[in-house]
Amino acid sequence: MIDKETHMTNTLTRREVLKLAGAGASALLLKVDSAHALDEVVADDAAAVLYDATRCVGCRACEEACKAWNKLPPDEEPPSDLTAHNYTLIKQHQEGADESFRKYQCMHCVHPACVSACPVQALTKSKDGPVMYDANKCIGCRYCMVACPFHVPRIDWSDPLPIIAKCTFCADRIMHGQIPACVEACPVEALTFGTREQILEEARSRIKQYPDRYIDHVYGETEAGGTSWMYISAVPFEQIGFPKLDSDPVPELSDDVAMYGTPSMLVGVAALLGGIYWATSRRNEGKQEE
Amino acid sequence: MSVITKIREENFPITYWILAALVLLGMAFGVTRLVLGLGATTNLSSGYPWGLWITFDVFTVPFSAGAFTLAAVLHVFNRKKYHAVAHLALLAGFLGYLLVVLVLLMDLGRWDHFYSVLMPWRWNLHSFMFEVSMSIAIYFGVLVLELVGVVFKGQDWLPVQFINRLIPLIAGTGVMLSCVHQGSLGALFLMLDQKLHPLWWTPILPVLFLTSALFSGLSVGIFLSILTWRALDKPVPMRLLSGLAKVVLVIQAIYLVLKIGDLLLAGEAGLVFGSGLLSVLFLAEIFIGVIMPLILFSSRARESERGLLLGVIYTLVGLAINRSSIAWFGLRAPAEATYFPHWMEFGIVIAAASFGILFFTLGIRYLPAIRKGVLEEGHH
Repeated sequence: MIDKETHMTNTLTRREVLKLAGAGASALLLKVDSAHALDEVVADDAAAVLYDATRCVGCRACEEACKAWNKLPPDEEPPSDLTAHNYTLIKQHQEGADESFRKYQCMHCVHPACVSACPVQALTKSKDGPVMYDANKCIGCRYCMVACPFHVPRIDWSDPLPIIAKCTFCADRIMHGQIPACVEACPVEALTFGTREQILEEARSRIKQYPDRYIDHVYGETEAGGTSWMYISAVPFEQIGFPKLDSDPVPELSDDVAMYGTPSMLVGVAALLGGIYWATSRRNEGKQEE
Repeated sequence: MSVITKIREENFPITYWILAALVLLGMAFGVTRLVLGLGATTNLSSGYPWGLWITFDVFTVPFSAGAFTLAAVLHVFNRKKYHAVAHLALLAGFLGYLLVVLVLLMDLGRWDHFYSVLMPWRWNLHSFMFEVSMSIAIYFGVLVLELVGVVFKGQDWLPVQFINRLIPLIAGTGVMLSCVHQGSLGALFLMLDQKLHPLWWTPILPVLFLTSALFSGLSVGIFLSILTWRALDKPVPMRLLSGLAKVVLVIQAIYLVLKIGDLLLAGEAGLVFGSGLLSVLFLAEIFIGVIMPLILFSSRARESERGLLLGVIYTLVGLAINRSSIAWFGLRAPAEATYFPHWMEFGIVIAAASFGILFFTLGIRYLPAIRKGVLEEGHH
């Protein structure tokens, strides 16, 4: 129903208009200093992974290793999308002569929309990199699913009391010095684990070394304010299912409005109501005296 | 409507029993939903994690805004002559928010963990879901106090006297909370600039949600007043209601300027005609929900019962189109995803509406304080 291309470019303009013109009352009220509301949690030495689409042969060893480590039930037929029991998935994308594999999983954003969305802090961003989930806190409102720009969180709809299911970044492995199960399982080193700084450096050096093989772009370096999982590819990223995102963290505007807009609103309305009440009570008293 | 026109009779017409049956059926669906889970009772999917129930909530919150807008008229602006109208809006608001809370519970995948929201150390102040749910919970408490104050007025029961002494403060708190959460409901969608169609996504969404809640709430006040006075065979207090319609007119004009101005400023006016079915929804909201009422309320139609009734019905239809566009139709889903609500999703929404109609009419029948206010209007 919606034309995706125009949709995306148009929303970008809408944001830019706000930024440039500072238009409208809400802009004055809300657009204070965007750097403050988002906590700077991710350092350059946080964990990161590089997926090199040109190396991936689509063997799906990563999927198997993920299932084994996370004790996920086997599938009756191979899934075509991420599910509550498939935290990662290799898909083959074809567009014209371009053909490429792509690995899907949680991108572990530097400024995750899901973490900002969650009302009860069931989702948190670890300083080490992973976006972590605590089912004990979760109420199942599914705002994280709606908010995620990469369409990642899933629930098992057949479960009466489902949990949010997504890639854990093998937090329970990397905290103990191990690398994620999928990275370990990859036979062709399409996946590389390291710090965000190392990974970016590695990605750039590969592009520099083989400029003919790669598109000159590291997806995830800046998209949505940066992600912990980053990609390099021979084909344009839109062709392997990536949304076109600018470098603004997805929750930025929402966070600013929550942290500055709401308190301003409360104070403003209280003052306004108090003033009106004072004026109208006096007027009524005046009337009675007459 | 036939229910409300019958309330003067001292028997129970068949419509009551039909509504009661629908409510009971809905309760059975609700229990089924809580026991079997979302998959068995809804058509939601990873492509459509939210559906009809969220749309119901996003509509019912501004529909119930009459309670706070008229509380402001009554207790903050001190226009005491509006007390009977305000009490109708209060009853409707109380029922509306009760239903929002119940339907929201249906939507909680992990409803057994709902207490999580009540633990301050878990609160995420960055989350509009938190802000909306907390604000609605506290405001519901305010509505209960206001309603207790009205229903038991005149009884020398200490808590009631206490409430009625503090009523400007209680009502003022309610107005404040409402202004915040009506806007926050729109702010829920600020994060979805990649998903919500740019006809609706704008940084001023919270302002648009608040503005439309203000005029919708007042419109509900007018709407319920006309129906109730008619049902009780009393002349509709036209001067009061036309006065409110004038305020609706001003706020709708502001809303129209904000909405169109925002699109023009963003250079996206072309979308209004170039977005297929979504353009139809957008234009339908503007014409039915804003332009038509603006014409009616700025003309002599405002002085007639029919003109007023038509104007507020247009307004509320427009509200329904707007909120369902934002919470449902205008949200982009993955290409392969489709959604049409399960019959039990419809069942629960129908039951909620029936519950509201049933208890509103019963309220007018059996709550003397509210009924008396309506009957006495025009006698002083």
